[in-house]
Amino acid sequence: MATETQTQNVSVNNFEQCLKCSICTVYCPVSAVTPEYPGPKQAGPDAERYRMKNKAFFDDALKMCLNCKRCEVACPNDVHIGDIIQAARIKYNTHRPKLRDMMLANTDFVGTMASPFAAIANPILKLKPMKAVLHGVMAIDKHRTFPDYSSRKFESWFKKNAAALQDKFNKHVSYFHGCYVNYNYPQLGVDFVNVMNAVGYGVHLLEKEKCCGVALIANGMPKQAKRQGEVNMTSMRKAIAQGHQVLTTSSTCTFTMRDEYDHLLGIDNHDVRDSISLATRFLYQLIEKGEIKLAFREDFKKRVAYHSACHMERMGWVPYSTRLLRMIPGIDFVMLESQCCGISGTYGFKKENYERSQAIGKGLFDQIKEVNPDCVATDCETCKWQIEMSTGTPVMNPISIIAEALDVEKTRELNKQ
Amino acid sequence: MRFDVIIIGGGLSGLTAGIALAEAGKDVALVSAGQSTLHFGSGSLDLLGCDDKGNDIYKPIDAIATLGEKHPYNKLEDVSGLAGVAKQLLERAGIATTGDANVNHWRITPIGGLMPTWLSMEGMAIVQDPDQMPWKRVALVNIANYLDFPTKFLAAGLRERGVQVDVKAVTVPQLAQLRKSPTEMRSTNIAKVIESNDIINDIADKINSITGEGYDMVLLPAVLGVASSENSKKLLSLIKMPASYVATLPPSVTGVRLQTQLRKRFNSLGGSFFPGDQVIEGVFENNVLKGVKTAKLDGTTLEADNFILATGSFMSRGLKADYDHIYEPALGVDVDDMGLDRKTWAKIDVNEAQPYMEMGVKTDEKLRCLRNGTAINNLYAVGSILSGHNSIKLLDAAGVDMLTALQVANNIIK
Amino acid sequence: MTTVNNNHYDVIVIGGGITGAGTARDCAMRGLKVLLVERHDFSTGATGRNHGLMHSGARYAVTDHESAKECIQENMILRKIARHCVEETDGLFITLPEDDLNFQATFVQKCTEAGISAEIIDPKQAIIMEPSVNPELIGAVKVPDASIDPFRLTMANVLDAQLHGAEVLVYHEVVDVIIEQDRMVGVKLRNNHNGEELDVYATVTVNAAGIWGALIAQMAGVKINMFPAKGSLLIFGHRVNNMVINRCRKPANADILVPDDAVCVIGTTSVRIPIEECDDMRVTPEEVEELLAEGMKLAPSLGSTRILRGYAGVRPLVASDDDPSGRSISRGIVTLDHEKRDGLAGFITITGGKMMTYRLMAEEVTDLVCQKLNISKNCDTATTPLPGSEPKEETKRFSFSQKAAEGRHGTLDKEIESGDAASDALVCECEGVSVGEVRYAVTKLHVHNLINLRRRTRVGMGTCQGELCACRAAGVMCSDDKSAQKAINDLNGFVNERWKGMQPVAWGDNLAEAQLTATIYQGLLGVDKLANERRIEYYEI
Repeated sequence: MATETQTQNVSVNNFEQCLKCSICTVYCPVSAVTPEYPGPKQAGPDAERYRMKNKAFFDDALKMCLNCKRCEVACPNDVHIGDIIQAARIKYNTHRPKLRDMMLANTDFVGTMASPFAAIANPILKLKPMKAVLHGVMAIDKHRTFPDYSSRKFESWFKKNAAALQDKFNKHVSYFHGCYVNYNYPQLGVDFVNVMNAVGYGVHLLEKEKCCGVALIANGMPKQAKRQGEVNMTSMRKAIAQGHQVLTTSSTCTFTMRDEYDHLLGIDNHDVRDSISLATRFLYQLIEKGEIKLAFREDFKKRVAYHSACHMERMGWVPYSTRLLRMIPGIDFVMLESQCCGISGTYGFKKENYERSQAIGKGLFDQIKEVNPDCVATDCETCKWQIEMSTGTPVMNPISIIAEALDVEKTRELNKQ
Repeated sequence: MRFDVIIIGGGLSGLTAGIALAEAGKDVALVSAGQSTLHFGSGSLDLLGCDDKGNDIYKPIDAIATLGEKHPYNKLEDVSGLAGVAKQLLERAGIATTGDANVNHWRITPIGGLMPTWLSMEGMAIVQDPDQMPWKRVALVNIANYLDFPTKFLAAGLRERGVQVDVKAVTVPQLAQLRKSPTEMRSTNIAKVIESNDIINDIADKINSITGEGYDMVLLPAVLGVASSENSKKLLSLIKMPASYVATLPPSVTGVRLQTQLRKRFNSLGGSFFPGDQVIEGVFENNVLKGVKTAKLDGTTLEADNFILATGSFMSRGLKADYDHIYEPALGVDVDDMGLDRKTWAKIDVNEAQPYMEMGVKTDEKLRCLRNGTAINNLYAVGSILSGHNSIKLLDAAGVDMLTALQVANNIIK
Repeated sequence: MTTVNNNHYDVIVIGGGITGAGTARDCAMRGLKVLLVERHDFSTGATGRNHGLMHSGARYAVTDHESAKECIQENMILRKIARHCVEETDGLFITLPEDDLNFQATFVQKCTEAGISAEIIDPKQAIIMEPSVNPELIGAVKVPDASIDPFRLTMANVLDAQLHGAEVLVYHEVVDVIIEQDRMVGVKLRNNHNGEELDVYATVTVNAAGIWGALIAQMAGVKINMFPAKGSLLIFGHRVNNMVINRCRKPANADILVPDDAVCVIGTTSVRIPIEECDDMRVTPEEVEELLAEGMKLAPSLGSTRILRGYAGVRPLVASDDDPSGRSISRGIVTLDHEKRDGLAGFITITGGKMMTYRLMAEEVTDLVCQKLNISKNCDTATTPLPGSEPKEETKRFSFSQKAAEGRHGTLDKEIESGDAASDALVCECEGVSVGEVRYAVTKLHVHNLINLRRRTRVGMGTCQGELCACRAAGVMCSDDKSAQKAINDLNGFVNERWKGMQPVAWGDNLAEAQLTATIYQGLLGVDKLANERRIEYYEI
């Protein structure tokens, strides 16, 4: 019996492994700025033991958790502290989400509604009276600038300008563009298609794509998140069956679909998980294997400071993006101290969280001002909003930086078989 | 991904090796599975504090000759020289210390004991001679209702040694706000509140007004300076009387600072730090480690000319004990389990020297790991994962961490 | 501490286990002048070293009808009078493929005869009711088992005894009995804290000292045939199960898994030991192996759950008087009127029985005491709620520690200061013990050291077994310089006491935890060097 028993003390979300060392509390960005939050150790493994006894031990303050997972990165014993907290919210929370939260969470629905009217919606969302309404009625903080809605969705651009050209490539990938690329910043999608095409890969959209659901999870709508996740998994299975990897340009979408689907929503993604990758990782691995080469413009010069987005750090994939960026000869690369920017998706948009959100990010903003880069690079779109709003420094996805630095013609030549 | 050296473990030993190698121009990657035991630190680093009977050691370098033959110090070429190098390495990382490897000084423990030590971070209260306290009248000032600084024990311990002690408490509105949290009134959160609200002046004023005059030392809990020593120095400078810090219960602000400063130094030297990842497998070929695989970078092998295992002991998961044996989980290298099993590796009296504490990986004279009895040419072990000493009893943890790391860095650079 | 005002009592009760506490309560409620004496702390013997199972009686239904009936009656009473000590979990008796399913019918029939509701459940339904149960089960019966906290139960009885005028002396050991002619008139006590001795007198002395009652009787020149049976148990880090899980077969080793508060407990083994060994029992590696192997048959996930500690208790089994060979052991209640049995008046021994039937034992012996004192007063203990178990007031509890404290102290939680930052600060994070609760325990619940505090509040009973909280609690308890050295000794003792339960299961995360704890207490604080006394008593293990 001895060998097969007690070799690993792993229970659900392995809270049993917690040694109570308190290290996670040092790195929690929330408990440092708000005493109402019990801290990751207490909210996670400590209280979970009691919640298992009686659900009355559930504490509403858990909604203050950003789900940044920095506690998990810090934990020396690999306890899934953030998962325990989020799972507890899903399991025990009895409050129904507010209208505001439903609106913020349904990124693709709102995006679909807003995009055709972008010319109207964008200025309106910026008007003071509108902001006052949002602040007062909807409890969306007035300091926030809504990301612009693009007048043309990425999907529309792709169908019109790119779709027909993709079949001529020998190698193919599928692209999960996410809500942000589709509604707010199609340029990133365009950059992605250009880079992939340059290295000889055709790009295809999934048969059906739904928002990954990260905002639904955060806003207490796990059932809807699960339904959307199942749709995504079905589409991805079809793409994978054709031999495609599914690439994204968002660390959070990637993390949600690879890890949170299984850990929090109970979606069986084991056959899909390994085929979901971030574009930077995919490119880096191909370069390392010698399967593709990149050539860069000689006139490209940029001072770039890299910000490790929380979920990127949790995935452990920061080295892929940074080492890829460092291949650009004209880059003056600075690695920022890794810390949370405070936005955490929709969290920072809520009136009640605004101050906390800015307090959390302060250290990062100060650092950026000190480094004074031409742009900040990060793999997360919500970090982009927060950092741009709070520092005025432009923020770019590494893929957009690659696209800008790339000598497309030369790269195409290098990658011709 | 390819590097000159890959270090597994981001605590004191891993970072020391990483900095030493990066300073020598090596391209170094460091994979760290969670934060380190520095978080339970005292603000001081020990080289050799006690002999095997528990008596304090006054001259650590001289006492090294008396150590058992398995002790890792026996594999160092020049303990005294390396100790000097270690102190300078800390200095370059922005960590100023007082102390000397030839003569121990004593730190004050959070419950009022005195323990021998080698280097103390600036601002920490220290005593040069345990039989002669340097102060006659001490004000012991705590943050109101902060439980992790047991002033009653501290005061009693100092009084026992003939010091007159008055215990006081201070607070400011921002800290009173933090007190609302029953769980998070912790050293590091206190530090963050004080530092982010820029209330050091207010606190200094409060301390000055409640202590008045006539103390030759004001002792404070070490709850300032998470990221650098700037703020902790500032507070001391604003207090009208001589003032210094005493360690608190964990998490240790000084330890977090040490960790942060060392990691920043490593980053600034161009080192690559991979946090929250874990080496799960080694690729070996004819007594050479070709590469390692990690839990997160799946599909990628991290390759290097040399590797350093600095994953710590049981509490850092560098060693694991299962139901009936002890093993090294990352690379499966040989472990010296002293021939003991579950019935014998732990003794009944907690204060006895526990056999499990001396367990660790086996190394050859160059600190290279053994695997199936043979040394791996390019895989070294440093720090707490080494077998052959009980760091809690000998008080030698930081010395073993730093000096073995520096020795291995030298071995690699050569 | 209660002081002894006048040293003559109607009754002296020896033993601060549940039987002694219950007897003191019953006697006090019937108007007697009572002194309860205990040589250590409350519930340090068998009371504090069992499963914490509130038997429905089903376990005894087939083999011992009488015990089964007593259990279910007391079970129903305790739900009413000890609400805050009881968690109404219900229990399952499962049949596994290796067991005889035919036993189930007999079992249900015998339960029914004893008045125990026993409902056969479809195995699939049983898995839904209790997801941790071994999915290979082929039969299940639901019975009204529950879990009960013996520390709380004992304390509540003591508190009620005090409310009815009883005096209580802990750390007072009976070192001799005082006999005049053929009557026991009192006992000689030694204060175990300072060694001082004092004589106390009573018309009747009740020996409720459990297995150690044999030694008390010996002092009086009376022989009781005790057969100590050691039972070892393991505590797991969290509740794997929410219902009690038993095996539906003849009672055997390690076949009960009980959810207790935030943990669960598997037990027990059973081995006869000499009475001298009762003072120093340790869980052996073989016992750990057996408990784990058998436990996994009840709930397979125990195999991957961290074991916090092991401990062992001793059942006070008594040989029937008519069979001096000791082969015929009674598991029922044994009341020995030494006046009738041995010609020694003023001395009664109450023993045998089980925690479940403590109240009934107390009632029986109190009836006898009253008879000797010529007092006729009815027993009210079956209908009067214990302090803390009065009907619940509708107060909303907000914080983790307030909710946890209500669970521990019932309605008495109103005596715990809270609402201000100083009182609400958490001492023990695993179990949610606040400074206010520590202060309450120290002032009201006979707490003299950290181990006493643990029994009253669960300080240090969580996953880390006291990694930081012990130091915080020691700081809160320490009042001045003089007590600082004592508090540090106490702290060192506490760390060692926690370790003694961890040492038999020191592998995996437990070993890592032990190293971390040693790093903090020895490496950082130097508690081992500052402590000038290392004595650890068996009852603290």
